[in-house]
Amino acid sequence: MDNIQIIEKARRGDHDAFRILVESHARPVYRLAFRMTGNAIDAEDVSQETFLKAWKQIGNFDGRASFGTWLHRICANCSVDLIRSRKRRETDADVADPQQHIASPGPSPERIALSGQVAAMLGPALDELSGMERAAFVLRHFEGMGIEEISVALGVLPGAAKHSVFRAVQKLRRTLRPAMSASR
Amino acid sequence: MNHISEEDLILLYYREPGIDNTTRAHLRECAVCQAAAESLAQTLNICNEFSVPEPPAEFGRSVWAQIAPQLSGPRQRRGFARPPLMRQWIAIAAGVMLLAGVFLMGRATRAPQAPIATGLSRQARERILAISLADHLDRAGRLLTEISNDSDSASAGFATERDRAHDLVEEGRLLHQALATRGASSTLTFVDDLERLLTEVSHAHDAREIQERIGSESLLFKVRIIEANLRTQGQKS
Repeated sequence: MDNIQIIEKARRGDHDAFRILVESHARPVYRLAFRMTGNAIDAEDVSQETFLKAWKQIGNFDGRASFGTWLHRICANCSVDLIRSRKRRETDADVADPQQHIASPGPSPERIALSGQVAAMLGPALDELSGMERAAFVLRHFEGMGIEEISVALGVLPGAAKHSVFRAVQKLRRTLRPAMSASR
Repeated sequence: MNHISEEDLILLYYREPGIDNTTRAHLRECAVCQAAAESLAQTLNICNEFSVPEPPAEFGRSVWAQIAPQLSGPRQRRGFARPPLMRQWIAIAAGVMLLAGVFLMGRATRAPQAPIATGLSRQARERILAISLADHLDRAGRLLTEISNDSDSASAGFATERDRAHDLVEEGRLLHQALATRGASSTLTFVDDLERLLTEVSHAHDAREIQERIGSESLLFKVRIIEANLRTQGQKS
């Protein structure tokens, strides 16, 4: 049974066919979700949410993009939703628990002076981005999607997608600049 | 012409369409813009170092196991306010606590209801996992110590140890699942090794079959070290 047949069966509600799709696409979906969310627990949540949405929407899959690309779009949107809800929760928690402000000091200048440590700052630097900025940047930088594709994936105008990438890159440069300078 | 804007340099880096030939020609000739492009490229190239931990080989099956029950029946509105993994964590935490309570009969255990019912932060989930795993290792360590010190290894007297090992194997499966989703590969490998030994205990006829193996692999030592590390981690997070 080839991929098209499997997708067609899944579209008709065949659980076994959908199981094959889940098992074959789960790892790439997880990788994208991890890049989007920055941690394994959220990446797992997003992966599950992605496939649940895919199941509900598989009747709308028209085959113009590959199934993997279609899943990536769903995953990107689920990630944006999660990042937004997470930031809201973190904001609420910050208000409720002032000790959180002193919970995680940034790395010392000595530490970041080592060029090998610059990469270690990437996770926190990406966490500084808004959900849309992070999604647009990850899709552009890691997934190799063009601005037009990103706009379709995220359901925004191309101009908005482009500016999200710009803002993401500018923020990353600003955050990483001290480390980059120190490592030279 | 003016120097190239950062936005155009970003488009150039990603080879996006929409950059005219005049801009490209300027970049070839202008040292200032070349330096700016180089600086931008260095930052973006560093981003390639952002690594993603490989999910376990059985990840696809694990996702399917989680979502399959939700594919049938009435559709429910779902959201991230109560994500599926959180329910899994609630089940794991509750399951582990319940097993611990039944297993130790009378030992004081942590009551899971209050923190679980109010929703768990990531730190709280990490803490629960660390403490649950430390408790599990403590129980496994006690059992292995008793087996190591057992001089009367008659078959009839070993039934209790077999039952306890069986319970620990069941409990370990819950923790294995939680560790797998967290990507804790080194701890996961150790828990796997321990589970294999406990499975052997649960099928062994007497202590002698197991004693040699416990000693040769320094298992008790490893159990205690990892347990101590987890308790420290649980206190910090």
